[in-house]
Amino acid sequence: MNKITVRRLLFLWNSIRKVYSFFFFMGKKSNKTKIFFIVALLPVIMALIIKLNPIFSGRSSTEGIYIFSNVIIVFYLQALILLLALFFGTSVCSEEVEGKTLTYLTTRPVSKSAIILGKYAAYTSLVILMTGIGVTISFLILNVNKLHDFSLYEILIRDVIVLSLGIMCYTALFTFVGTFLKKSILFGFVFGFGWENVIQYFPGSTQRFSIVHYLKSLLPVPKTGRFSFLMFKLEPSTPVAAVFMLFLITGIFLGLACLFFSLKDYIFED
Amino acid sequence: MKTVIETKKLSKWYGNVLGLSDVSLQIEAGITGILGPNGAGKSTFLKLITGQIKPNIGSCTIEGQKIRNNYHFYSKIGFCPEQDSFYEEMTGWQFMTGLLKLHHYSPSEIKAMTKEALEIVELTEDKDRVIKSYSRGMRQRLKFAQAIAHKPEIIVFDEPLNGLDPLGRRKIIRLVKSYEEEGKTILVSSHVLPEIEAMTKQIILIHQGKVFAQGDIHYIRDLIDTHPHIVSIKCRNPRQLASTFIREDYVLNIHFGSADNTLLIETNNRDKFFSLLPSLFVKYNIEVDEITSPDDNLQAVFDYLVEK
Repeated sequence: MNKITVRRLLFLWNSIRKVYSFFFFMGKKSNKTKIFFIVALLPVIMALIIKLNPIFSGRSSTEGIYIFSNVIIVFYLQALILLLALFFGTSVCSEEVEGKTLTYLTTRPVSKSAIILGKYAAYTSLVILMTGIGVTISFLILNVNKLHDFSLYEILIRDVIVLSLGIMCYTALFTFVGTFLKKSILFGFVFGFGWENVIQYFPGSTQRFSIVHYLKSLLPVPKTGRFSFLMFKLEPSTPVAAVFMLFLITGIFLGLACLFFSLKDYIFED
Repeated sequence: MKTVIETKKLSKWYGNVLGLSDVSLQIEAGITGILGPNGAGKSTFLKLITGQIKPNIGSCTIEGQKIRNNYHFYSKIGFCPEQDSFYEEMTGWQFMTGLLKLHHYSPSEIKAMTKEALEIVELTEDKDRVIKSYSRGMRQRLKFAQAIAHKPEIIVFDEPLNGLDPLGRRKIIRLVKSYEEEGKTILVSSHVLPEIEAMTKQIILIHQGKVFAQGDIHYIRDLIDTHPHIVSIKCRNPRQLASTFIREDYVLNIHFGSADNTLLIETNNRDKFFSLLPSLFVKYNIEVDEITSPDDNLQAVFDYLVEK
Protein backbone atom coordinates (compact mmCIF):
# COMPACT_ATOMS: atom_id res chain seq x y z
CA MET A 1 0.00 0.00 0.00
CA ASN A 2 1.41 3.38 -0.91
CA LYS A 3 1.33 6.43 1.34
CA ILE A 4 -1.68 8.03 -0.33
CA THR A 5 -3.79 4.89 0.13
CA VAL A 6 -2.75 4.65 3.78
CA ARG A 7 -3.59 8.33 4.33
CA ARG A 8 -6.99 7.85 2.68
CA LEU A 9 -7.75 4.80 4.78
CA LEU A 10 -6.71 6.66 7.91
CA PHE A 11 -8.95 9.58 6.97
CA LEU A 12 -11.85 7.19 6.28
CA TRP A 13 -11.28 5.49 9.63
CA ASN A 14 -11.22 8.84 11.44
CA SER A 15 -14.35 9.97 9.62
CA ILE A 16 -16.15 6.74 10.53
CA ARG A 17 -15.18 7.28 14.18
CA LYS A 18 -16.56 10.84 14.14
CA VAL A 19 -19.83 9.78 12.53
CA TYR A 20 -20.03 6.85 14.93
CA SER A 21 -19.66 9.02 18.02
CA PHE A 22 -22.23 11.51 16.67
CA PHE A 23 -24.89 8.84 16.09
CA PHE A 24 -24.05 6.63 19.04
CA PHE A 25 -24.47 9.61 21.33
CA MET A 26 -27.68 10.68 19.60
CA GLY A 27 -29.00 7.10 19.39
CA LYS A 28 -28.57 6.59 23.13
CA LYS A 29 -30.87 9.50 23.86
CA SER A 30 -33.49 8.89 21.19
CA ASN A 31 -37.02 7.79 21.95
CA LYS A 32 -36.74 5.09 19.32
CA THR A 33 -33.90 3.46 21.25
CA LYS A 34 -35.85 3.64 24.49
CA ILE A 35 -38.87 1.92 22.91
CA PHE A 36 -36.79 -0.80 21.29
CA PHE A 37 -34.84 -1.32 24.48
CA ILE A 38 -38.13 -2.24 26.15
CA VAL A 39 -38.84 -4.60 23.23
CA ALA A 40 -35.39 -6.14 23.68
CA LEU A 41 -36.24 -6.81 27.31
CA LEU A 42 -39.40 -8.82 26.51
CA PRO A 43 -37.57 -12.16 26.99
CA VAL A 44 -36.71 -11.00 30.50
CA ILE A 45 -40.45 -11.05 31.28
CA MET A 46 -40.63 -14.47 29.64
CA ALA A 47 -37.73 -15.65 31.79
CA LEU A 48 -39.41 -14.29 34.93
CA ILE A 49 -42.68 -16.06 34.14
CA ILE A 50 -40.88 -19.33 33.38
CA LYS A 51 -38.89 -19.05 36.59
CA LEU A 52 -41.86 -18.17 38.78
CA ASN A 53 -44.29 -20.65 37.19
CA PRO A 54 -43.09 -23.77 39.14
CA ILE A 55 -43.43 -21.84 42.40
CA PHE A 56 -47.12 -21.08 41.80
CA SER A 57 -48.09 -24.20 39.82
CA GLY A 58 -46.17 -26.65 41.99
CA ARG A 59 -44.76 -28.42 38.89
CA SER A 60 -41.11 -29.34 38.65
CA SER A 61 -39.06 -26.76 36.79
CA THR A 62 -37.02 -27.36 33.63
CA GLU A 63 -33.36 -26.58 33.95
CA GLY A 64 -32.65 -22.87 33.52
CA ILE A 65 -29.81 -23.19 31.04
CA TYR A 66 -31.93 -25.49 28.85
CA ILE A 67 -34.72 -22.89 28.69
CA PHE A 68 -32.17 -20.16 28.08
CA SER A 69 -30.49 -21.89 25.14
CA ASN A 70 -33.61 -23.34 23.54
CA VAL A 71 -36.27 -20.71 24.12
CA ILE A 72 -34.75 -17.33 24.98
CA ILE A 73 -31.85 -17.46 22.52
CA VAL A 74 -33.99 -18.91 19.73
CA PHE A 75 -36.58 -16.18 20.32
CA TYR A 76 -33.85 -13.56 20.06
CA LEU A 77 -32.37 -15.25 17.02
CA GLN A 78 -35.55 -15.73 15.03
CA ALA A 79 -37.55 -12.69 16.03
CA LEU A 80 -35.99 -9.98 18.15
CA ILE A 81 -32.65 -9.37 16.48
CA LEU A 82 -34.42 -9.38 13.11
CA LEU A 83 -36.88 -6.79 14.33
CA LEU A 84 -34.23 -4.57 15.92
CA ALA A 85 -31.85 -4.87 12.95
CA LEU A 86 -34.72 -4.09 10.60
CA PHE A 87 -35.74 -0.87 12.33
CA PHE A 88 -32.23 0.36 13.05
CA GLY A 89 -30.68 -0.82 9.78
CA THR A 90 -33.25 0.69 7.45
CA SER A 91 -33.20 3.94 9.41
CA VAL A 92 -29.46 4.47 8.79
CA CYS A 93 -30.36 6.14 5.52
CA SER A 94 -34.13 6.57 5.54
CA GLU A 95 -34.38 8.63 8.74
CA GLU A 96 -31.92 11.14 7.25
CA VAL A 97 -33.98 11.40 4.08
CA GLU A 98 -37.40 11.41 5.75
CA GLY A 99 -36.20 13.77 8.49
CA LYS A 100 -34.48 15.94 5.86
CA THR A 101 -31.31 16.04 7.95
CA LEU A 102 -29.12 14.40 5.31
CA THR A 103 -27.95 17.84 4.15
CA TYR A 104 -26.13 18.41 7.44
CA LEU A 105 -24.04 15.28 6.87
CA THR A 106 -23.41 15.45 3.12
CA THR A 107 -22.07 19.00 3.31
CA ARG A 108 -19.28 18.02 5.73
CA PRO A 109 -15.76 16.87 4.88
CA VAL A 110 -16.56 13.21 5.40
CA SER A 111 -17.15 10.71 2.62
CA LYS A 112 -20.58 9.23 2.08
CA SER A 113 -19.14 5.79 2.82
CA ALA A 114 -17.98 7.09 6.20
CA ILE A 115 -21.50 8.36 6.92
CA ILE A 116 -23.03 4.96 6.14
CA LEU A 117 -20.36 2.92 7.92
CA GLY A 118 -20.21 5.21 10.96
CA LYS A 119 -23.95 5.31 11.44
CA TYR A 120 -24.24 1.57 10.78
CA ALA A 121 -21.57 0.90 13.40
CA ALA A 122 -23.30 3.18 15.92
CA TYR A 123 -26.69 1.56 15.45
CA THR A 124 -25.24 -1.95 15.42
CA SER A 125 -23.48 -1.22 18.71
CA LEU A 126 -26.70 0.06 20.23
CA VAL A 127 -28.65 -3.01 19.16
CA ILE A 128 -25.90 -5.33 20.42
CA LEU A 129 -25.91 -3.44 23.71
CA MET A 130 -29.70 -3.64 24.06
CA THR A 131 -29.74 -7.33 23.16
CA GLY A 132 -26.74 -8.10 25.37
CA ILE A 133 -28.43 -6.54 28.39
CA GLY A 134 -31.67 -8.44 27.75
CA VAL A 135 -29.88 -11.76 27.21
CA THR A 136 -27.71 -11.34 30.31
CA ILE A 137 -30.63 -10.45 32.58
CA SER A 138 -32.64 -13.41 31.21
CA PHE A 139 -29.65 -15.69 31.80
CA LEU A 140 -29.23 -14.49 35.37
CA ILE A 141 -32.93 -14.93 36.15
CA LEU A 142 -33.13 -18.43 34.69
CA ASN A 143 -29.90 -19.57 36.33
CA VAL A 144 -30.26 -17.69 39.60
CA ASN A 145 -29.58 -20.81 41.64
CA LYS A 146 -26.48 -21.77 39.60
CA LEU A 147 -24.64 -18.51 39.37
CA HIS A 148 -21.56 -20.08 40.95
CA ASP A 149 -21.25 -22.50 38.00
CA PHE A 150 -18.78 -20.69 35.78
CA SER A 151 -19.14 -23.18 32.93
CA LEU A 152 -22.58 -21.71 32.28
CA TYR A 153 -21.07 -18.33 31.53
CA GLU A 154 -19.30 -19.82 28.52
CA ILE A 155 -22.73 -20.55 27.08
CA LEU A 156 -23.81 -16.98 27.76
CA ILE A 157 -20.72 -15.55 26.06
CA ARG A 158 -21.07 -17.88 23.06
CA ASP A 159 -24.75 -16.99 22.63
CA VAL A 160 -24.12 -13.26 22.94
CA ILE A 161 -21.39 -13.54 20.28
CA VAL A 162 -23.70 -15.46 17.93
CA LEU A 163 -26.47 -12.91 18.42
CA SER A 164 -24.01 -10.07 17.85
CA LEU A 165 -22.89 -11.66 14.59
CA GLY A 166 -26.54 -11.94 13.60
CA ILE A 167 -27.18 -8.29 14.43
CA MET A 168 -24.08 -7.25 12.48
CA CYS A 169 -25.20 -9.22 9.42
CA TYR A 170 -28.90 -8.34 9.44
CA THR A 171 -28.25 -4.65 10.14
CA ALA A 172 -25.86 -4.55 7.17
CA LEU A 173 -28.49 -6.13 4.94
CA PHE A 174 -31.21 -3.72 6.07
CA THR A 175 -28.85 -0.74 5.84
CA PHE A 176 -28.33 -1.65 2.19
CA VAL A 177 -32.06 -2.07 1.61
CA GLY A 178 -32.72 1.31 3.25
CA THR A 179 -30.40 3.11 0.84
CA PHE A 180 -32.46 2.32 -2.22
CA LEU A 181 -35.98 1.26 -1.19
CA LYS A 182 -38.59 3.68 0.08
CA LYS A 183 -40.68 0.94 1.69
CA SER A 184 -37.69 -0.81 3.15
CA ILE A 185 -39.52 -1.83 6.34
CA LEU A 186 -42.08 -3.77 4.31
CA PHE A 187 -39.33 -5.56 2.41
CA GLY A 188 -37.58 -6.24 5.70
CA PHE A 189 -40.65 -7.88 7.21
CA VAL A 190 -41.16 -10.07 4.14
CA PHE A 191 -37.50 -11.07 4.11
CA GLY A 192 -37.02 -11.45 7.83
CA PHE A 193 -40.22 -13.16 8.79
CA GLY A 194 -40.94 -14.79 5.44
CA TRP A 195 -37.81 -15.90 3.64
CA GLU A 196 -35.57 -16.35 6.69
CA ASN A 197 -38.19 -18.24 8.66
CA VAL A 198 -39.11 -20.59 5.81
CA ILE A 199 -35.95 -21.25 3.85
CA GLN A 200 -34.01 -22.39 6.93
CA TYR A 201 -36.23 -25.47 7.21
CA PHE A 202 -35.61 -26.56 3.61
CA PRO A 203 -33.45 -29.66 3.43
CA GLY A 204 -30.17 -29.71 1.53
CA SER A 205 -28.13 -26.68 0.53
CA THR A 206 -31.13 -24.33 -0.02
CA GLN A 207 -31.05 -23.33 3.65
CA ARG A 208 -27.59 -21.85 3.06
CA PHE A 209 -29.34 -18.94 1.32
CA SER A 210 -30.53 -17.72 4.69
CA ILE A 211 -28.49 -15.82 7.27
CA VAL A 212 -30.10 -17.64 10.15
CA HIS A 213 -28.63 -20.93 8.85
CA TYR A 214 -25.11 -19.69 9.57
CA LEU A 215 -26.12 -18.37 12.98
CA LYS A 216 -27.75 -21.66 13.96
CA SER A 217 -24.65 -23.47 12.69
CA LEU A 218 -22.73 -21.77 15.50
CA LEU A 219 -25.11 -23.08 18.17
CA PRO A 220 -25.25 -26.66 19.47
CA VAL A 221 -28.01 -28.74 17.90
CA PRO A 222 -30.35 -30.36 20.46
CA LYS A 223 -31.04 -33.89 19.25
CA THR A 224 -33.99 -34.50 21.51
CA GLY A 225 -36.21 -32.65 23.88
CA ARG A 226 -39.28 -30.42 23.72
CA PHE A 227 -37.55 -27.61 21.83
CA SER A 228 -35.54 -29.61 19.32
CA PHE A 229 -38.07 -28.60 16.60
CA LEU A 230 -36.49 -25.13 16.65
CA MET A 231 -33.41 -26.58 15.01
CA PHE A 232 -35.52 -28.83 12.71
CA LYS A 233 -33.83 -29.91 9.48
CA LEU A 234 -30.69 -27.94 10.24
CA GLU A 235 -27.75 -29.26 8.25
CA PRO A 236 -25.11 -27.06 9.82
CA SER A 237 -22.11 -25.53 8.09
CA THR A 238 -18.78 -25.71 9.89
CA PRO A 239 -18.25 -22.91 12.45
CA VAL A 240 -15.37 -21.46 10.40
CA ALA A 241 -17.46 -21.44 7.23
CA ALA A 242 -20.41 -19.94 9.12
CA VAL A 243 -18.37 -17.08 10.59
CA PHE A 244 -16.68 -16.47 7.23
CA MET A 245 -20.07 -16.32 5.47
CA LEU A 246 -21.52 -13.94 8.06
CA PHE A 247 -18.59 -11.55 7.64
CA LEU A 248 -18.72 -11.92 3.86
CA ILE A 249 -22.46 -11.15 3.73
CA THR A 250 -21.94 -8.14 6.03
CA GLY A 251 -19.08 -6.85 3.88
CA ILE A 252 -20.98 -7.27 0.63
CA PHE A 253 -24.11 -5.49 1.88
CA LEU A 254 -22.14 -2.66 3.48
CA GLY A 255 -20.12 -2.22 0.29
CA LEU A 256 -23.31 -2.07 -1.76
CA ALA A 257 -24.89 0.35 0.73
CA CYS A 258 -21.89 2.70 0.44
CA LEU A 259 -21.99 2.47 -3.34
CA PHE A 260 -25.74 3.20 -3.58
CA PHE A 261 -25.55 6.00 -1.05
CA SER A 262 -22.69 7.67 -2.93
CA LEU A 263 -24.37 7.45 -6.31
CA LYS A 264 -28.03 8.03 -5.56
CA ASP A 265 -29.75 11.43 -5.40
CA TYR A 266 -31.96 11.70 -2.35
CA ILE A 267 -34.84 14.09 -2.92
CA PHE A 268 -36.74 15.39 0.08
CA GLU A 269 -40.49 15.22 -0.22
CA ASP A 270 -42.69 18.09 0.96
CA MET B 1 -12.71 39.60 -10.16
CA LYS B 2 -11.95 35.88 -10.14
CA THR B 3 -14.77 33.43 -10.80
CA VAL B 4 -15.43 31.27 -7.75
CA ILE B 5 -18.41 29.22 -8.87
CA GLU B 6 -18.97 28.24 -12.48
CA THR B 7 -21.80 26.24 -14.00
CA LYS B 8 -22.01 25.06 -17.58
CA LYS B 9 -25.34 24.06 -19.11
CA LEU B 10 -26.48 22.81 -15.73
CA SER B 11 -29.78 20.93 -16.01
CA LYS B 12 -31.73 18.79 -13.60
CA TRP B 13 -34.98 16.85 -13.92
CA TYR B 14 -36.93 15.09 -11.21
CA GLY B 15 -38.54 12.38 -13.33
CA ASN B 16 -40.60 14.36 -15.81
CA VAL B 17 -40.48 17.55 -13.77
CA LEU B 18 -37.94 20.15 -14.76
CA GLY B 19 -35.88 21.41 -11.86
CA LEU B 20 -33.30 23.49 -13.67
CA SER B 21 -32.58 23.99 -17.35
CA ASP B 22 -29.40 24.94 -19.14
CA VAL B 23 -27.92 27.22 -16.51
CA SER B 24 -24.49 28.62 -17.37
CA LEU B 25 -23.23 31.10 -14.83
CA GLN B 26 -20.08 32.54 -13.39
CA ILE B 27 -20.27 33.75 -9.80
CA GLU B 28 -17.59 35.88 -8.21
CA ALA B 29 -16.73 36.59 -4.59
CA GLY B 30 -19.20 38.77 -2.68
CA ILE B 31 -22.91 38.36 -2.12
CA THR B 32 -25.05 37.03 -4.94
CA GLY B 33 -28.79 36.88 -4.47
CA ILE B 34 -30.76 34.04 -6.04
CA LEU B 35 -34.21 35.33 -6.60
CA GLY B 36 -37.34 33.62 -7.77
CA PRO B 37 -40.79 32.50 -6.67
CA ASN B 38 -41.34 29.24 -4.76
CA GLY B 39 -40.62 26.26 -6.99
CA ALA B 40 -38.54 28.33 -9.42
CA GLY B 41 -35.49 26.09 -9.02
CA LYS B 42 -33.48 28.10 -6.50
CA SER B 43 -32.99 25.22 -4.07
CA THR B 44 -32.21 22.82 -6.92
CA PHE B 45 -29.54 25.24 -8.12
CA LEU B 46 -28.02 25.54 -4.65
CA LYS B 47 -28.07 21.77 -4.12
CA LEU B 48 -26.40 21.24 -7.48
CA ILE B 49 -23.60 23.69 -6.83
CA THR B 50 -22.98 22.21 -3.38
CA GLY B 51 -22.87 18.71 -4.86
CA GLN B 52 -25.84 17.37 -2.92
CA ILE B 53 -27.51 16.20 -6.11
CA LYS B 54 -25.98 15.43 -9.46
CA PRO B 55 -26.97 17.19 -12.68
CA ASN B 56 -28.52 15.30 -15.58
CA ILE B 57 -26.59 17.50 -17.99
CA GLY B 58 -23.81 20.00 -17.49
CA SER B 59 -21.25 20.60 -14.83
CA CYS B 60 -20.50 22.75 -11.85
CA THR B 61 -17.16 23.68 -10.35
CA ILE B 62 -16.07 25.68 -7.32
CA GLU B 63 -12.61 27.21 -7.62
CA GLY B 64 -12.11 24.99 -10.65
CA GLN B 65 -12.84 21.76 -8.78
CA LYS B 66 -15.78 19.40 -9.16
CA ILE B 67 -17.68 19.37 -5.92
CA ARG B 68 -19.87 16.24 -5.86
CA ASN B 69 -18.26 13.51 -3.76
CA ASN B 70 -15.17 15.74 -3.41
CA TYR B 71 -15.74 15.70 0.34
CA HIS B 72 -12.43 17.33 1.34
CA PHE B 73 -13.72 20.51 -0.27
CA TYR B 74 -16.63 20.76 2.16
CA SER B 75 -14.37 22.22 4.83
CA LYS B 76 -14.52 25.38 2.70
CA ILE B 77 -18.30 25.38 2.31
CA GLY B 78 -21.08 26.30 4.70
CA PHE B 79 -24.63 25.37 3.79
CA CYS B 80 -27.78 26.59 5.47
CA PRO B 81 -30.67 24.47 4.14
CA GLU B 82 -34.16 25.74 3.51
CA GLN B 83 -35.97 22.93 5.31
CA ASP B 84 -36.73 23.30 9.00
CA SER B 85 -35.20 19.96 9.97
CA PHE B 86 -32.97 19.01 12.89
CA TYR B 87 -31.97 16.14 15.13
CA GLU B 88 -34.77 17.20 17.42
CA GLU B 89 -33.68 15.35 20.55
CA MET B 90 -30.28 17.03 20.65
CA THR B 91 -29.59 20.31 22.36
CA GLY B 92 -28.34 23.26 20.34
CA TRP B 93 -24.84 22.77 21.77
CA GLN B 94 -24.77 19.04 21.00
CA PHE B 95 -26.00 19.66 17.47
CA MET B 96 -23.29 22.21 16.78
CA THR B 97 -20.42 20.29 18.39
CA GLY B 98 -21.56 17.05 16.76
CA LEU B 99 -21.49 18.56 13.28
CA LEU B 100 -18.17 20.32 13.90
CA LYS B 101 -16.66 16.98 14.93
CA LEU B 102 -17.21 15.87 11.33
CA HIS B 103 -14.75 18.61 10.30
CA HIS B 104 -11.98 16.81 12.22
CA TYR B 105 -11.30 19.70 14.61
CA SER B 106 -9.85 19.14 18.06
CA PRO B 107 -12.26 19.21 21.03
CA SER B 108 -10.98 22.62 22.16
CA GLU B 109 -11.42 24.07 18.66
CA ILE B 110 -14.92 22.62 18.45
CA LYS B 111 -15.83 24.17 21.77
CA ALA B 112 -14.48 27.57 20.80
CA MET B 113 -16.14 27.54 17.37
CA THR B 114 -19.49 26.44 18.78
CA LYS B 115 -19.35 29.11 21.46
CA GLU B 116 -18.55 31.81 18.94
CA ALA B 117 -21.22 30.74 16.43
CA LEU B 118 -23.92 30.51 19.10
CA GLU B 119 -22.93 33.92 20.40
CA ILE B 120 -23.22 35.40 16.91
CA VAL B 121 -26.76 34.12 16.49
CA GLU B 122 -27.62 34.92 20.12
CA LEU B 123 -28.41 31.37 21.18
CA THR B 124 -25.86 31.07 24.00
CA GLU B 125 -28.50 31.16 26.72
CA ASP B 126 -30.56 28.45 25.03
CA LYS B 127 -27.69 26.18 24.04
CA ASP B 128 -28.63 23.46 26.52
CA ARG B 129 -32.28 23.27 25.53
CA VAL B 130 -33.38 20.47 23.19
CA ILE B 131 -33.95 21.70 19.66
CA LYS B 132 -37.56 20.53 19.59
CA SER B 133 -38.33 23.17 22.22
CA TYR B 134 -36.85 25.99 20.09
CA SER B 135 -39.07 28.59 18.44
CA ARG B 136 -39.08 28.93 14.66
CA GLY B 137 -36.76 31.90 14.82
CA MET B 138 -34.30 30.09 17.09
CA ARG B 139 -34.26 27.10 14.79
CA GLN B 140 -33.55 29.36 11.86
CA ARG B 141 -30.68 30.98 13.74
CA LEU B 142 -29.27 27.57 14.70
CA LYS B 143 -29.30 26.53 11.04
CA PHE B 144 -27.43 29.72 10.28
CA ALA B 145 -24.92 29.02 13.05
CA GLN B 146 -24.04 25.52 11.78
CA ALA B 147 -23.33 27.00 8.35
CA ILE B 148 -20.89 29.63 9.60
CA ALA B 149 -19.30 27.93 12.63
CA HIS B 150 -16.33 26.46 10.75
CA LYS B 151 -15.61 29.82 9.07
CA PRO B 152 -16.10 28.65 5.49
CA GLU B 153 -14.95 30.66 2.47
CA ILE B 154 -18.11 29.92 0.52
CA ILE B 155 -21.44 30.15 2.30
CA VAL B 156 -24.74 29.15 0.77
CA PHE B 157 -27.91 30.29 2.49
CA ASP B 158 -31.20 28.88 1.23
CA GLU B 159 -33.98 31.21 2.39
CA PRO B 160 -32.09 32.22 5.56
CA LEU B 161 -34.60 34.81 6.73
CA ASN B 162 -37.65 32.52 6.83
CA GLY B 163 -39.37 32.58 10.20
CA LEU B 164 -37.29 35.39 11.66
CA ASP B 165 -38.77 38.45 13.29
CA PRO B 166 -37.85 41.88 11.85
CA LEU B 167 -35.08 42.32 14.40
CA GLY B 168 -33.64 38.90 13.64
CA ARG B 169 -33.80 39.62 9.94
CA ARG B 170 -31.89 42.85 10.31
CA LYS B 171 -29.25 41.07 12.36
CA ILE B 172 -28.80 38.27 9.84
CA ILE B 173 -28.70 40.72 6.94
CA ARG B 174 -25.99 42.66 8.74
CA LEU B 175 -24.05 39.44 9.38
CA VAL B 176 -24.28 38.33 5.75
CA LYS B 177 -23.00 41.71 4.66
CA SER B 178 -20.10 41.46 7.09
CA TYR B 179 -18.99 38.19 5.47
CA GLU B 180 -18.79 39.98 2.15
CA GLU B 181 -16.36 42.43 3.71
CA GLU B 182 -14.21 39.47 4.74
CA GLY B 183 -13.91 38.51 1.07
CA LYS B 184 -16.12 35.45 1.25
CA THR B 185 -18.39 34.20 -1.49
CA ILE B 186 -22.00 34.16 -0.37
CA LEU B 187 -25.06 32.88 -2.16
CA VAL B 188 -28.40 33.81 -0.68
CA SER B 189 -31.71 32.65 -2.06
CA SER B 190 -35.09 34.15 -1.36
CA HIS B 191 -38.48 34.62 -2.89
CA VAL B 192 -38.90 37.87 -0.98
CA LEU B 193 -37.40 40.66 -3.00
CA PRO B 194 -36.77 43.27 -0.33
CA GLU B 195 -34.75 40.66 1.60
CA ILE B 196 -32.33 40.20 -1.29
CA GLU B 197 -32.35 43.88 -2.07
CA ALA B 198 -31.26 44.61 1.47
CA MET B 199 -28.26 42.34 1.12
CA THR B 200 -26.99 42.78 -2.41
CA LYS B 201 -27.42 44.38 -5.80
CA GLN B 202 -25.87 41.38 -7.52
CA ILE B 203 -28.68 39.05 -8.42
CA ILE B 204 -29.63 36.00 -10.43
CA LEU B 205 -33.29 35.81 -11.39
CA ILE B 206 -34.61 32.25 -11.68
CA HIS B 207 -38.07 31.27 -12.81
CA GLN B 208 -39.41 27.91 -13.99
CA GLY B 209 -35.93 26.41 -13.82
CA LYS B 210 -34.37 29.00 -16.08
CA VAL B 211 -32.16 31.97 -15.41
CA PHE B 212 -33.94 35.10 -16.56
CA ALA B 213 -31.12 37.48 -15.87
CA GLN B 214 -27.89 37.84 -13.98
CA GLY B 215 -26.02 40.91 -12.87
CA ASP B 216 -26.38 44.17 -11.07
CA ILE B 217 -29.93 45.39 -10.67
CA HIS B 218 -29.15 48.48 -12.76
CA TYR B 219 -27.54 46.34 -15.43
CA ILE B 220 -30.68 44.25 -15.57
CA ARG B 221 -32.74 47.37 -15.93
CA ASP B 222 -30.58 48.44 -18.85
CA LEU B 223 -31.09 45.06 -20.45
CA ILE B 224 -34.81 45.58 -20.55
CA ASP B 225 -34.98 49.01 -22.06
CA THR B 226 -38.62 48.65 -22.94
CA HIS B 227 -39.55 48.00 -19.34
CA PRO B 228 -42.26 50.54 -18.46
CA HIS B 229 -41.44 52.63 -15.42
CA ILE B 230 -43.93 54.37 -13.22
CA VAL B 231 -43.04 57.78 -11.89
CA SER B 232 -45.11 59.42 -9.20
CA ILE B 233 -45.12 63.23 -9.11
CA LYS B 234 -46.73 65.17 -6.31
CA CYS B 235 -47.32 68.79 -7.35
CA ARG B 236 -49.74 71.69 -7.02
CA ASN B 237 -51.29 71.31 -10.47
CA PRO B 238 -51.14 67.70 -11.63
CA ARG B 239 -53.80 68.10 -14.34
CA GLN B 240 -51.82 70.77 -16.10
CA LEU B 241 -48.73 68.60 -15.98
CA ALA B 242 -50.75 65.65 -17.32
CA SER B 243 -51.92 67.70 -20.29
CA THR B 244 -48.33 68.40 -21.30
CA PHE B 245 -47.24 64.76 -21.01
CA ILE B 246 -50.20 63.35 -22.89
CA ARG B 247 -48.67 64.54 -26.17
CA GLU B 248 -45.37 62.71 -25.65
CA ASP B 249 -44.94 59.35 -27.40
CA TYR B 250 -42.76 57.89 -24.63
CA VAL B 251 -45.61 58.27 -22.12
CA LEU B 252 -47.77 55.15 -22.08
CA ASN B 253 -50.28 55.88 -19.31
CA ILE B 254 -51.26 58.66 -17.00
CA HIS B 255 -53.24 58.13 -13.79
CA PHE B 256 -54.25 60.42 -11.01
CA GLY B 257 -53.28 58.91 -7.69
CA SER B 258 -55.64 58.38 -4.80
CA ALA B 259 -53.67 60.89 -2.77
CA ASP B 260 -54.25 64.57 -3.51
CA ASN B 261 -52.12 66.18 -6.19
CA THR B 262 -50.41 62.95 -7.24
CA LEU B 263 -49.83 62.04 -10.84
CA LEU B 264 -48.68 58.57 -11.90
CA ILE B 265 -46.96 58.50 -15.27
CA GLU B 266 -45.95 55.29 -17.00
CA THR B 267 -43.11 55.69 -19.48
CA ASN B 268 -41.08 53.34 -21.66
CA ASN B 269 -38.17 55.76 -21.90
CA ARG B 270 -37.10 56.67 -18.44
CA ASP B 271 -34.00 58.64 -19.46
CA LYS B 272 -35.85 60.87 -21.90
CA PHE B 273 -38.64 61.41 -19.44
CA PHE B 274 -36.33 62.57 -16.69
CA SER B 275 -34.28 64.75 -19.00
CA LEU B 276 -37.38 66.68 -20.08
CA LEU B 277 -39.01 66.86 -16.69
CA PRO B 278 -37.14 69.91 -15.26
CA SER B 279 -37.76 72.03 -18.35
CA LEU B 280 -41.49 71.28 -18.20
CA PHE B 281 -41.65 72.30 -14.56
CA VAL B 282 -39.96 75.57 -15.42
CA LYS B 283 -42.01 76.18 -18.55
CA TYR B 284 -45.38 75.71 -16.85
CA ASN B 285 -44.25 77.05 -13.51
CA ILE B 286 -45.24 73.89 -11.64
CA GLU B 287 -44.23 73.60 -8.05
CA VAL B 288 -43.16 70.04 -7.27
CA ASP B 289 -43.44 68.56 -3.81
CA GLU B 290 -42.09 65.05 -4.47
CA ILE B 291 -40.92 62.76 -7.27
CA THR B 292 -40.71 59.04 -6.56
CA SER B 293 -40.40 55.88 -8.58
CA PRO B 294 -42.66 53.28 -6.90
CA ASP B 295 -41.50 50.45 -9.15
CA ASP B 296 -37.82 51.19 -8.81
CA ASN B 297 -37.09 47.94 -6.99
CA LEU B 298 -36.47 44.31 -7.78
CA GLN B 299 -40.13 43.42 -7.60
CA ALA B 300 -40.89 45.54 -10.66
CA VAL B 301 -38.06 44.04 -12.65
CA PHE B 302 -38.97 40.54 -11.57
CA ASP B 303 -42.68 40.94 -12.35
CA TYR B 304 -41.83 42.36 -15.71
CA LEU B 305 -39.40 39.57 -16.58
CA VAL B 306 -41.80 36.86 -15.51
CA GLU B 307 -44.65 38.36 -17.56
CA LYS B 308 -42.30 38.70 -20.52
